Amino acid sequence: MNRRRVLLVYLVLGLVALALLAIIPGGQKQEFSVADEFQLEPLVELPSIGPVDLSITKAVVYLWIAAAVLIVLAIVLSRTLKPTPSRFQYAIETLYELARGGIVGSVMTSGRATWFPYIAGAFFFVLVSNFIGLIPLPFAEHHQWGFYSATANLYVTAALALCTFVFTHYAGIRKSGLRYFAGWAPSSAPPVLKQLIFVIHAVSELFRLVSLSVRLFANMLAGHAILGVFFAMALIFQSYLAAVMLQGGSVLIYLFELFVAFIQAFIFAILSAVYIGGALEEGH
Amino acid sequence: MNPEAAKLLGAGLAMGLGAIGPGVGLGILIGKALEAVARQPEVSGEVRTNMFIGIGVTEAVALYAFVVALILVFVA
Repeated sequence: MNRRRVLLVYLVLGLVALALLAIIPGGQKQEFSVADEFQLEPLVELPSIGPVDLSITKAVVYLWIAAAVLIVLAIVLSRTLKPTPSRFQYAIETLYELARGGIVGSVMTSGRATWFPYIAGAFFFVLVSNFIGLIPLPFAEHHQWGFYSATANLYVTAALALCTFVFTHYAGIRKSGLRYFAGWAPSSAPPVLKQLIFVIHAVSELFRLVSLSVRLFANMLAGHAILGVFFAMALIFQSYLAAVMLQGGSVLIYLFELFVAFIQAFIFAILSAVYIGGALEEGH
Repeated sequence: MNPEAAKLLGAGLAMGLGAIGPGVGLGILIGKALEAVARQPEVSGEVRTNMFIGIGVTEAVALYAFVVALILVFVA
């Protein structure tokens, strides 16, 4: 009975606090636009060579950070390998096992040893860049703190997808020579139909490039846009009530984005493995 | 109609309608995968891997709609 009364008091106090928050007007007016978060302003202006602009934007900085983190991780881990792993080593070993057994081992039937380094490299690079995208870093305009991810940039993901695209056909041609292209259409089909199937297959290969890059890019962009909107809800609604209530929501969205960051790296690596494995099987 | 309004309306419609198909698809996909795992728990690892491949391919359709919506709002 007594406990229930205490709970009731807390409930009333909470409601009063929320009502007060609703009455108090928000802080000074600030403009917020999600689109601004993805503008690429050059941090360091560099001359452009022909049509290629070499200016250092925040996407470049995020790429450098991801590469540096991966290199440092690899060096430190390989120097301190122990037979009884520490927690950290165990965590990385689990990811390595996932790349080896879960991605390459379960999808590819041949050429595992040859292509494991590329697929694991893509997996870890995308994973690290996705996770770095969820840490606020001071590279937004005027060195403000903000969220950005190298993989939330179509140029970066398109370059990664292009690697997979090139390696797919390289693997196929290296394995079975020009018979690789013969494998694009079933040999039992009549000639006219065969040409049609060949064209359709060629188009689908190009669409793989598009889907692989746009999937990663759009997932990261959408995640960051939702995070930005949730974090900036107080600015948009000009009210402390909205701010307090939506902080819980933004924590949940953040946790979901951690999951998405991992899943997208996994999907990128596994689709690369599927494409390369498929190219190795064609033509014979 | 005001072109600005048409743009925003189009973006909203593109995202909303474009999410229907992938939503249904993901439901069927994950439901069937769970069913398969429930029937045959020993192949759960293989089913999960293939399920994620399917999720990646299905979900990309919704993301194309998202990209179209972005293009409508910010580029068109």
